[in-house]
Amino acid sequence: MQEYSSQAAYDRGEAVCVIGAGASGLIAVKNLRENGFEVDCYERDTVLGGLWNPQNQHSPLYSNTHLVTSRSQTEIPDCPMPDDWPDYPSAAQMLTYLTAYAKHFGLPEHIWYGSEISAIEPVEGSRFEVVVKPAAGNAARRLRYAAVIIATGHHWTPNLPSYPGQDQFKGTILHSSQLKDASRLRGKEVLVVGGGNSGVDIACEAAVNAAGCVHSVRRGTWHLPKYLAGEPADYALNRLGARPRFLRRFLADRLLKGPKRLATRMGIDVPEHGPTGEEPVRNGRYLEHVGDGSIRRRGEIARFDGFDVSFADGTEMRPDLVVLATGYRPKITCVAPKLLGIDGDSPFPKLLARMFSPKHETLAIAGLVEPGVGVLPIVHWQTHAIAHWLQVRKGDPDRAANFRHQVVSESAQYAVEPGGTSPRHQLAVDAEEYLASLGRIIDTLEQEPAK
Amino acid sequence: MSLISWARRARTPEPVPVVREIAYLEPADLFDSEIKDDPEASPVLCCTGDPAGAAAFNALWLKRFAASGRYAGAVSVRGQGGTPAAEGGVEARAHDLVQAVVTVPRQAVLIGHREGAAWAALAAGRYPASALVLVSPRQFPKQPPKPVGGPPVLLVVAESESQSKEVQAVADAYGVAPLTFAGSPDDVFKGVAAEGLLDAILSWLAGKH
Ligand SMILES: Cc1cc2nc3c(=O)[nH]c(=O)nc-3n(C[C@H](O)[C@H](O)[C@H](O)COP(=O)(O)OP(=O)(O)OC[C@H]3O[C@@H](n4cnc5c(N)ncnc54)[C@H](O)[C@@H]3O)c2cc1C
Ligand SMILES: NC(=O)c1ccc[n+]([C@@H]2O[C@H](COP(=O)([O-])OP(=O)(O)OC[C@H]3O[C@@H](n4cnc5c(N)ncnc54)[C@H](OP(=O)(O)O)[C@@H]3O)[C@@H](O)[C@H]2O)c1
Repeated sequence: MQEYSSQAAYDRGEAVCVIGAGASGLIAVKNLRENGFEVDCYERDTVLGGLWNPQNQHSPLYSNTHLVTSRSQTEIPDCPMPDDWPDYPSAAQMLTYLTAYAKHFGLPEHIWYGSEISAIEPVEGSRFEVVVKPAAGNAARRLRYAAVIIATGHHWTPNLPSYPGQDQFKGTILHSSQLKDASRLRGKEVLVVGGGNSGVDIACEAAVNAAGCVHSVRRGTWHLPKYLAGEPADYALNRLGARPRFLRRFLADRLLKGPKRLATRMGIDVPEHGPTGEEPVRNGRYLEHVGDGSIRRRGEIARFDGFDVSFADGTEMRPDLVVLATGYRPKITCVAPKLLGIDGDSPFPKLLARMFSPKHETLAIAGLVEPGVGVLPIVHWQTHAIAHWLQVRKGDPDRAANFRHQVVSESAQYAVEPGGTSPRHQLAVDAEEYLASLGRIIDTLEQEPAK
Repeated sequence: MSLISWARRARTPEPVPVVREIAYLEPADLFDSEIKDDPEASPVLCCTGDPAGAAAFNALWLKRFAASGRYAGAVSVRGQGGTPAAEGGVEARAHDLVQAVVTVPRQAVLIGHREGAAWAALAAGRYPASALVLVSPRQFPKQPPKPVGGPPVLLVVAESESQSKEVQAVADAYGVAPLTFAGSPDDVFKGVAAEGLLDAILSWLAGKH
């Protein structure tokens, strides 16, 4: 902070600072305003919508991105998408939706574009000082807020593997977020690495556009089609939640039997646990492409060697283009890691109830979960809880202290131990359990009215 | 809307979509240089149990609201006016209302008349209306959902109804005292009684939104 100390911070009183104007930031601004807070939202880019906006400089969208979660399971609970939209809207529709949401609730006037937050630091009275990175030639601005909500997303820093010989590889290597356009695949021998939704979607694009497509996947995952039993798959599975507990398992097995058998036939080890423990792949076309040979599956890469790539099973290929669909790292650089409960080098915060800083009552993160279902509803309830919390805290410190205890005990249920075998699952939550926990938190906050 | 009722809804089949008839008037449409769009004033969206639907508001209501500087809209729910009939009970009508209100340019006031008041109350349990206005409610839910976002609520009823049990129950549910207007609860779309009713709504809105 030394370099900024020449300039005094501007005090914004009781106002709350939201960082990021993606879906999570927009929902946070709306819910804070609904609870009577003044809000300043800072967005480093020049557009809203976050990763759904292809004009956002670092948007990870690739050609033909569609939602993998269906409309009714994706829309924000208090502002539905148009009911004449398809079950699985496109990325462009998602942006239209978020833009309309922002406009409807008068959010744009609270957003400061081109304003990257480079640091936030706790100052006296549980307040925060926020540093807005200077645009060329200007001095950094510093402001003080009563609270900060970080909504910077977690799909901006590519997670890149490093295989022996990779740096000397003579073909082209791209991360999935750099692909953008299917024309880059045309006529090429393509190797796609990574079996998440990005890898599987891109392998399907390569299957129809490229000269050949090999897909390297290091372990099995659940593969769900976009429809099950005549309904959008996530909706069909969610509906099971309305059935008596003893029936659910049976009904789920029945729904999933077909997809599981098909995956097994294609040589995929489907994990023992059901598809809710970690994010399933949702793509109805992929297994058909594997079935007709337009996608050839391989195991993990062993090494790169000049123009060639060899796999752990000893086979080799000569790709023109390697697409690393190996996911992202949740890098939050604007805040000291210990405020997010991070010790050591891990990029994964340890938050209370997956949203509150364990160190500061007025610091929270929205949207840092992978629930395996639509993310926006979860963020809606998170920010609903955060806004209520800030309100209770302001008006009734005793109740706030009690509440804090409850959040700590709820959090014990989400001990941030990785559920699966891969570090990426540190962000995974079981949507049903997590929502139930959010429900309890919100109930406590709403039950006794503030004095 | 409580998380639980949302969770329940996300597990319930969505009503069949219909193409909804929406009538609207903006301040500029009145071609009156005295009337300016008021950016501070919330738009309104009206609905009624009257089978005419949105068209019922054309004669007077939309003009009066637009003249106050507001975007004024009205919607026909399934089976009313120009909106085709389709399956679904009150929940589906509330769905129609929510679908219509999110297309209004800004966060809006929901105004429901007769059965429309019941749909508006259900819609306000899902959508954060900037205010909720219930005019002579009929067939009102026994336990209406808590309106999301805590909007102010206005209950206006005809003098003749003000002592009825149903009106009392609605007043109690929201903790408000009803305002009254002279005239029949079913004849509110034109004439002196309608003007009086609209005066009451507009002056209440002017203080709030
Ligand atoms: C390819 C892809 C497909 C997806 N598909 C689905 C789907 O089908 N269904 C679903 O529910 N979810 C999906 N997701 C998950 C997605 O993360 C959420 O839908 C949602 O977009 C998350 O929004 P967010 O606001 O949290 O993050 P983002 O959209 O990433 O927004 C974060 C914003 O913060 C800004 N920012 C970052 N750092 C700073 C800073 N220091 N200062 C100021 N501003 C900053 C960024 O510019 C950005 O605008 C998908 C994700 C990806 C990558
Ligand atoms: N259409 C859509 O809506 C859509 C499309 C794409 C993505 N998304 C969402 O966006 C998020 C990110 O998805 P993503 O697919 O980009 O990333 P992801 O889900 O994190 O998947 C990354 C994949 O790469 C593999 N991988 C990671 N490191 C590796 C390494 N060193 N060597 C080999 N393989 C490695 C992972 O395997 P392990 O599992 O073994 O670690 C995993 O299969 C997800 O939430 C996803 O649902 C949605």
